[in-house]
Amino acid sequence: MNNEDSDLLGSSWLIYMLAKSSNTPEGRLLSLFDILNDWLKAPNMLKHCHLSNTNHALLLSYCIAQAQALGAESPETLAEHIVLIARNAAQQNIAHPLSNSLMHAKKAANALILAQTQPPAPTQVKRAVNKPVAYSIAATLALAIGASLIWAPMLKDQQLATHARAETSDTNNSKQAVAATQPLTAQDATQMYAKFELMRQGSCQFPEVLQMPDKHKAIYLENVVAGKLPANLEDLAIANEYLEKIRCNYTPMLMAASK
Amino acid sequence: MTGLREKILTTASNLFQTQGINSTGVDTIVAVAGTTKMTLYKYFGSKEVLILEVLKQGHLDFQNWLNDKLSNNTKQPSEKLQKLFDYIEEWVTSPDFHGVGFIKASAEFPQEDNPVHQLSSQQSQQFKQYIHHLATEANIKDAEGLSLQLSLIFEGAVQAEQMKRGSGAIKYAKTAAKILIDGASTQ
Repeated sequence: MNNEDSDLLGSSWLIYMLAKSSNTPEGRLLSLFDILNDWLKAPNMLKHCHLSNTNHALLLSYCIAQAQALGAESPETLAEHIVLIARNAAQQNIAHPLSNSLMHAKKAANALILAQTQPPAPTQVKRAVNKPVAYSIAATLALAIGASLIWAPMLKDQQLATHARAETSDTNNSKQAVAATQPLTAQDATQMYAKFELMRQGSCQFPEVLQMPDKHKAIYLENVVAGKLPANLEDLAIANEYLEKIRCNYTPMLMAASK
Repeated sequence: MTGLREKILTTASNLFQTQGINSTGVDTIVAVAGTTKMTLYKYFGSKEVLILEVLKQGHLDFQNWLNDKLSNNTKQPSEKLQKLFDYIEEWVTSPDFHGVGFIKASAEFPQEDNPVHQLSSQQSQQFKQYIHHLATEANIKDAEGLSLQLSLIFEGAVQAEQMKRGSGAIKYAKTAAKILIDGASTQ
């Protein structure tokens, strides 16, 4: 065994394992932690392998390609950070086998992927309104309220029924419109990824696609089956509906594979 | 005489940060500090003891700076955890940043039985415990898990910055830390 082969993170076998680990670039990046975790638990593995502090060019370039494929803002930074975290966590795992450091490192890496791929969380825009403008807005509002107080009793009976119907429909429409444009918050994304992660650990039975409305089919295939993050809150709600219908068996995969 | 000890310590610290620990010889330290080898060994006994003292002082200064920042700029205990990576980013992106002592020392002294490596590991653990303390104050249920995740993100980002200044790793580390903290807060 030559030096390169004996270095856990420098081996070409690791790249082979990563390539076949998942259908998505996110999955392949995150599998690095599962593979290292399994590897370090294997009998006698530590006698034959070590973790060098050198730059792991092969692994790094593979991870850069995955980071590019998932649309990271800065693929090199993401890949480098993930490889460093993996190496540090593996070293901790060797020193403290009970720390579960590689699984925590996987969560950290997942958050780094989100940090580079999800749109920025909606922030409240502070409006810079100067005082004269604020006063004129207040005056206009006061006039409008005054006018409505005078006209309201006259129009009240006539408009009441129509207004009630319109209000209900407006509220529903505006709620949907907001949900359709509002991006997911960090918390939504984290929860969604937690669900995907859980599903990956089980053997799942998915509902039939044919019976779904066309719009739902696309969301179901992309955001539930393929495990991509929904683009907005409306899609998230639909994806969640279908996620709840999926039934999974969580017998550990390794056990199932060993049968 | 204490002034001379401090001067040797500060000079060694600057040289270790900018040139590396192994690349900096005792001759260079005494020449830059304007003293003699005899004086250096009188105060520190050996280069290894000097390295350990530099690491201890550097870690203490960093912890005190971070503590002051968090105590002076937050009102609620839970805010400290949220602000932690803001100040780390501020520090890492400042022109004076030359890396983190214990992270650099750990890489330069990889042998586990080396006292410098052992102190570096100890300081890394202390920093994780500090985050654990902040997480506990913020009522995070899995404070142990979160502190491990955040310390891994921190050390990885610092290493990336040490390798390539301005890599942006710390910016994404801050966003990722917020995602992890928000996720842990809702559990």
